[in-house]
Amino acid sequence: MISRALRRGCGYAVAGCLCFLLTGCAGWAGSSGGDTPPVPVTSTAAARILDQGTFGPTTSSIQHVQQVGFNIFLNEQFNTPATLVADIPNPNPVQCNQFTTAQRNCAQSAWLQIALTGNDQLRQRVAYALSEIWVTSTLEIDGRAMTPYLNLLAKDAFTNYRTIMQDVTLSPAMGNYLNMLNSNLPKNGEIANENYARELMQLFTTGVYLLNEDGSLQLDSNGNPIPVYTEDQVQAFARVYTGWTYANSDGSAPSTFPNETKNYDSPMAAVESHHDMQAKAILSGVTLPAGQTAENDLQDALDNIFNYPNVGPFVCKQLIQHLVSSTPSPAYVERVAKVFADDGSGVRGDMQAVITAILLDPEARANDADTGDSTPSVDGGHLREPILWTTAVARGLNAQSSNTDPTNLYPYIQLASLIGGIGEAPLESASVFNFFPPSYVIPLTTLNAPEFGIENTGTVIPRLSMADRLVNNNNDTLTVNLSAASSLGQLAASNPGQLVDSLGATLMHGQMPSAMRSAIVAEISGISDPAQRVRLAVYLITTSSVYKVVN
Amino acid sequence: MGFSRRSFIQLASLAAAGSALGLRPFGVMNALAQTSQDYKALVCVFLFGGNDANNTIIPFDTAGYDNYASLRGPLALAQNSLLPLTPTPGFALNPNLPDIQALFNTKNAAFVTNVGTLIQPTTRAQYLAKQVTTPSNLFSHPDQQLEWQNLAQSSSTPTGWGGRIADKLNVQYNPGSQIPMVVSLDGDTLFCNGASTSPASVLAGNVGTGSCSEHSACASRLQTAQQLATFSSGFSLVQADNEITSNSYNYSKVLINALKSGSPLQTVFPTTNNPIGAQLQQIAQIIQVRAALGVKRQIFFAGFGNFDTHGNQLASQSALLAELSPSLAAFYQATVELGIASQVTTFTASDFSRCFQPNSGGGTDHAWGSHHMVIGGAVKGGQMYGTFPTLALAGPDDSGSNGRWVPSTASVQYAATLAQWFGVAPSDLPTIFPNIGNFQNNNLDFV
Repeated sequence: MISRALRRGCGYAVAGCLCFLLTGCAGWAGSSGGDTPPVPVTSTAAARILDQGTFGPTTSSIQHVQQVGFNIFLNEQFNTPATLVADIPNPNPVQCNQFTTAQRNCAQSAWLQIALTGNDQLRQRVAYALSEIWVTSTLEIDGRAMTPYLNLLAKDAFTNYRTIMQDVTLSPAMGNYLNMLNSNLPKNGEIANENYARELMQLFTTGVYLLNEDGSLQLDSNGNPIPVYTEDQVQAFARVYTGWTYANSDGSAPSTFPNETKNYDSPMAAVESHHDMQAKAILSGVTLPAGQTAENDLQDALDNIFNYPNVGPFVCKQLIQHLVSSTPSPAYVERVAKVFADDGSGVRGDMQAVITAILLDPEARANDADTGDSTPSVDGGHLREPILWTTAVARGLNAQSSNTDPTNLYPYIQLASLIGGIGEAPLESASVFNFFPPSYVIPLTTLNAPEFGIENTGTVIPRLSMADRLVNNNNDTLTVNLSAASSLGQLAASNPGQLVDSLGATLMHGQMPSAMRSAIVAEISGISDPAQRVRLAVYLITTSSVYKVVN
Repeated sequence: MGFSRRSFIQLASLAAAGSALGLRPFGVMNALAQTSQDYKALVCVFLFGGNDANNTIIPFDTAGYDNYASLRGPLALAQNSLLPLTPTPGFALNPNLPDIQALFNTKNAAFVTNVGTLIQPTTRAQYLAKQVTTPSNLFSHPDQQLEWQNLAQSSSTPTGWGGRIADKLNVQYNPGSQIPMVVSLDGDTLFCNGASTSPASVLAGNVGTGSCSEHSACASRLQTAQQLATFSSGFSLVQADNEITSNSYNYSKVLINALKSGSPLQTVFPTTNNPIGAQLQQIAQIIQVRAALGVKRQIFFAGFGNFDTHGNQLASQSALLAELSPSLAAFYQATVELGIASQVTTFTASDFSRCFQPNSGGGTDHAWGSHHMVIGGAVKGGQMYGTFPTLALAGPDDSGSNGRWVPSTASVQYAATLAQWFGVAPSDLPTIFPNIGNFQNNNLDFV
């Protein structure tokens, strides 16, 4: 792995770090948050945590975090209710019918609107990270199943990982995607569908190999990794998940199996006569006795998996990679995994404690005091995937919806399509392995950097075109005001250096390297039109690798 | 899981569809314009998700078909729907592969049967008794994709066998070329990565330098953007992205210029809502301008799929094979048009095959040994290579009791055969395929 010099412990977040180090900050999320006096932070520190925990810093959010400090900011966000996606009306609103995949496009639009404008930014950002672990995709499931799934993740983001396991497992979206819905008691000559059984462990909870608490592999005496489960155990879990189908419209269990009447709004329900009631040997030497109901088998199996020691390091490392850094140190993973195992009150899987531990860890905060020219305190960060790059650019430029029709419930449809053109159509992962695999290693390096799985010499180019499109308002969805009369335009007219500094403060945490600043200032100084100066500066910043990799 | 096309490839295929219509009367001159020279291309078509080989090649004699039908139950294809293979009358093809049937019957395609990931020769008994080393996580998608693409070469920097061939041959065959030997049409894939070389990625139908709305400022904007990508950074990921970005600017320029030298192919590819057709069309267009690119050896990677048919398999697999079949045929036809049919060899690979025993949801689960297609004028076609498995649950080829066949041919033998045709010397095989020495035969002689 790469070298990593952790020179500064806490940067400006001294109180936050102390709280974390001493107590795990378990109490913050609850009632004690209001008792903590605000600890002012620099604009750089505020912008960095907003880039890690939201869909992109804005001028006003940076100011707010500076005023209230990290602790109160997190507490506010933990207590902000989820912005929910409304069910897609039936029949489809007219805006949705411009594509053959109407429900998909409406779901994408609704989600993008929340990501860009919702007040529950941390919740939605964590829910988005969860959606990249617990992947479903409208390439295979109905957009009408996706909207309740998005709400489920947003509502559960600050609960407990066991709750997430329960709710996703019984969601019609996941049931459809990985075939637990209508997985029947196998007849003679058949086996139970293994899809959900395998991927629930492989991707959502344990991973395939035994891990140490710091996320590193446990090895056997020959130096080989040790599998978590066997094919026989996959088959046993496959039989656990048999017998579930759509619930009746009132949420009750139907009498027929499969229930062909779609119900995307209620958890799936069990029809016991279609559940495999044989005994099942699952993880950790546990055997579910013969004759258990589908419900009892499910609760026991999910508890069995949830309590498996791998879950903390496996899930926490991925959450760190989605929010903060592709290359966390083992010690960082271990610190967070310990909070997953016990939030300080004996609770396993407490998501608020885990998120707090991730965002306030010394390694996450170490670069808060760096300048753009100093050697990084931690050589970390992660590539902005196309969706998060787009939201960060839009929010950083205070982009507004171009829609003027109040009856249009889905004004972000074209933006979703354009993001698809740069390689990551929202809610359209090509597979349950997400848009990019967690294990991806950049060619010719040893850097495990998941988002680089979709960053290559082919995909770089359309992102350049997208930046050109956004700064020129050449799209139907978003309008940015980069005109000569705008505040940025006025800065550009009087002082190109101040323009670049202003953009750098919002978009790059005030950490733009001076060589980059000079090159951009030189480029725009040769242009007379202030609006064009702004457009060129924004384009050059947002297409640069220094911006694309959020540090 | 489910693998599907990537949506930006869908968009790209719409763009590519337009160029198929641009036929010109001089297209036939393509073959003459580029006189036959030392050139070879290997084209990997990766069927993501695990194609069910059991419903790809089906026993056709009465006893064989009856056994198949009784065990496959609801997933059995009707015998009268199958496509007979004239040279091998005991077997027939899935009804959605008529173009493959024609290529096989005209000896331009071959099948390699029950081929899969192995470390060393393995029997059912040895596997069950754990007497041999087998690849880790046999029934996991990502692990077995990597196993097929990497073929058990381990190092701290992961590489794939396409990339390692390029490491070995690039200087010899493509000196001075401005683009890598390996070109991927399906993004980053381990297969393409070498220890000293990395691939160019191309979006089918979308080779360009990006749009610019700044008129007279476009040139200087581009120059400054390229300059920014040369600044060194203390962040490893910034350095890595700078390198990708710089390469992207360079490769797209080289490709655009070279592609201008080719007249439109006459061969019509199925590219509408057909990502594999669009990818193969783009590959043919790049091969067409090989002289302008200064390359004598090229390796291409194309990817296609949602072959992970845990449910609703009959409909899903049919639809996919129905897109694959005409795409492969058009690509072969394009190589004929270019006069290099015997210099281009196309082969399939996939995560694994699927259980012979159906599951309770109209689908099948992850298995192991599979059947693969090899297409091209150099292929010793009209034959099936390897050993077809005994289709019996808990039978002599089953790794358990659900029909997950223990491969009788290793994917490394399959790959080494292709590599030797491409120009890899037998003495270099152990470097590129470290486990090849575990197998008696490093050349299956199908090409």
